[in-house]
Amino acid sequence: MRSFSFPSLLLLSSNCCSNVLSLTASVSTQTSQTTSLETQNQAKKMDEFGLQEPHSLASFQEYNPDTIPDLFASESDHMPSHNSLSCSKDSDFYFAFRLKAISLFLQAQYSCNLDPFIPYLAINYLDRFLSKRDIPEGKPWVSRLLEVSCLSLAAKMKNTPFSATDFQRGEGFIFDAQTIHKMELLILDTLDWRMRSITPFSFLPFFLSFLDLNDQTLAKALKSRASDVIFNAHNEIKIVEFKPSIIAASAALSACQELLPLQFPSFKASISSFQYVNKESLFKCLTLVQEMMVNEGYESMFDTLSCTTRTAMSVVDRQLTKSDQRQNTHTSSTIIAEKRDSKRRRLNGTLCSENRFRLSHHFQKC
Amino acid sequence: MEKYEKLEKVGEGTYGKVYKAKDKATGQLVALKKTRLEMDEEGVPPTALREVSLLQMLSQSLYIVRLLCVEHVDSKEGKPVLYLVFEYLDTDLKKFIDSHRKGPSPRPLAPSMVQSFLYQLCKGVAHCHSHGVLHRDLKPQNLLLDKERGILKIADLGLGRAFTVPLKSYTHEIVTLWYRAPEVLLGSTHYSTGVDMWSVGCIFAEMVRRQALFPGDSEFQQLLHIFRLLGTPSDKQWPGVSALRDWHVYPQWQPQNLARAVPALGPDGVDLLEKMLKYDPAERISAKAALDHPYFDSLDKSQF
Repeated sequence: MRSFSFPSLLLLSSNCCSNVLSLTASVSTQTSQTTSLETQNQAKKMDEFGLQEPHSLASFQEYNPDTIPDLFASESDHMPSHNSLSCSKDSDFYFAFRLKAISLFLQAQYSCNLDPFIPYLAINYLDRFLSKRDIPEGKPWVSRLLEVSCLSLAAKMKNTPFSATDFQRGEGFIFDAQTIHKMELLILDTLDWRMRSITPFSFLPFFLSFLDLNDQTLAKALKSRASDVIFNAHNEIKIVEFKPSIIAASAALSACQELLPLQFPSFKASISSFQYVNKESLFKCLTLVQEMMVNEGYESMFDTLSCTTRTAMSVVDRQLTKSDQRQNTHTSSTIIAEKRDSKRRRLNGTLCSENRFRLSHHFQKC
Repeated sequence: MEKYEKLEKVGEGTYGKVYKAKDKATGQLVALKKTRLEMDEEGVPPTALREVSLLQMLSQSLYIVRLLCVEHVDSKEGKPVLYLVFEYLDTDLKKFIDSHRKGPSPRPLAPSMVQSFLYQLCKGVAHCHSHGVLHRDLKPQNLLLDKERGILKIADLGLGRAFTVPLKSYTHEIVTLWYRAPEVLLGSTHYSTGVDMWSVGCIFAEMVRRQALFPGDSEFQQLLHIFRLLGTPSDKQWPGVSALRDWHVYPQWQPQNLARAVPALGPDGVDLLEKMLKYDPAERISAKAALDHPYFDSLDKSQF
């Protein structure tokens, strides 16, 4: 059992949180123990607010046209401060740290069967936190505490039961509840309690509505593909620096290019001439997203997970969508849906072979 | 909290005491609202987290009181207690109306002022509704005024969902029923944006009359006040009303002429008021539609 002093290790520049940090918290390290985490499903809908869930947290909800100008006006408050991430002098440290955090969040998603929006939100909190505060290098427990607390906050925002204690089992460090709560408060203060992050998902239905699709199956497939692109783009540090609306527009465009190539030019023209969209920024981001989609490299980070299924699936998925986009978009959407399904079911990578089998089966059918 | 100097208690919000305070560093006046949202064994409770961040999101509108920050201090029991720090405004609509009714120079509110305040109120309510949030306790005390700039802002928002609409406030002060919609008084559990629009209608009439339109002192009396002016509602006029939980057999009143209750208001204003006070919540005008009502045609909307 080792004990760390919380305030002295976490180098804090701001004084607004002095009360949070005036106490000394203790952390214990634990030898790794492999416990397969049991799933506790919580597909609990957030229905306790007055009407429907406000836009910014709803990942796949239709948009309300009245809130669109507000969304564009305030999106910058919900992204990492400008120039603070990849451009900072510690970008190598940050890059490695972020990659580790992402893989930890994905592990949590699979092992606890979390809504994929929870790790997504946790990464958003993490990025915004790190753009405002430094954390010390060489103190892995601080990083881990930050990760666990971001995940815990994201789960709370989605009203999903999440036990940080259970989650930490099998990890290197175990933090007591009080320590995590103090870290949560520090994150809340740092992010000004703006936890209903405006994300690309807030804008996606709005941009997709430009296409005026009557075919619901097609509309769904497009949304699903664009959502996958947004989830993947979140792992790509270069893309994180774009505004959420720009990322959403790029994802919608690249999904359209794949699934409805004939409509792509006019879709691109209407999005890029929309009053709140900066053309130059859009084209830059779109190029990056397209590169990300053709370049296998972006998936390499998933190799940090024990299983490479995802890469295999994405490749198959891409080949499929490309080859049959003219004839049978329906099949590709089914595959995408199944892919997500199988991802959710996967525990500790043990189902890899089964997934591969299912996909190749589909591949043959097509 | 040592950042702030408490100046005076300015009110008892529904959920706790409100203090006027000064930010020692900047001199800025703020309203400090102590919440009862205490940390439990789960840390910041999910409801508190979600509601405060909702408030943070809504308070971006000019017509909603701005949440400046959230402070937390350890209580005597060692549990952190949350304080919400809001911008401070010097008066509210209740005090403002009172000052026009009594005091040294009683006089009506200028019609252009009523029009401007109502427009801003509808703007704020439309903002909340478009983000999927009901206020559920709109009343003149909750509408803060910047007299110099003629700005109205909605306060006491957001925390409504952590607890149900209370009958008694934190300090056992009776919560006013005067602005409560008939469907809420009749025990409907599936109410929507209409509840806020009813309150807006009552507030509109009160600005014109300088006294409350339906000053009931119990839920039953409140309903009778409403029925006496607007007539006892029927199932024909309001489908399903007699099936509501607290419906009883009431005396059958005939609707009175609404214009007589607000003699100072022109025909456009009366028409808008009528639309806000429709019995059937589905028929009640929305905040967004109200902004386009002819009553506001003579208002210079470019200033908003």
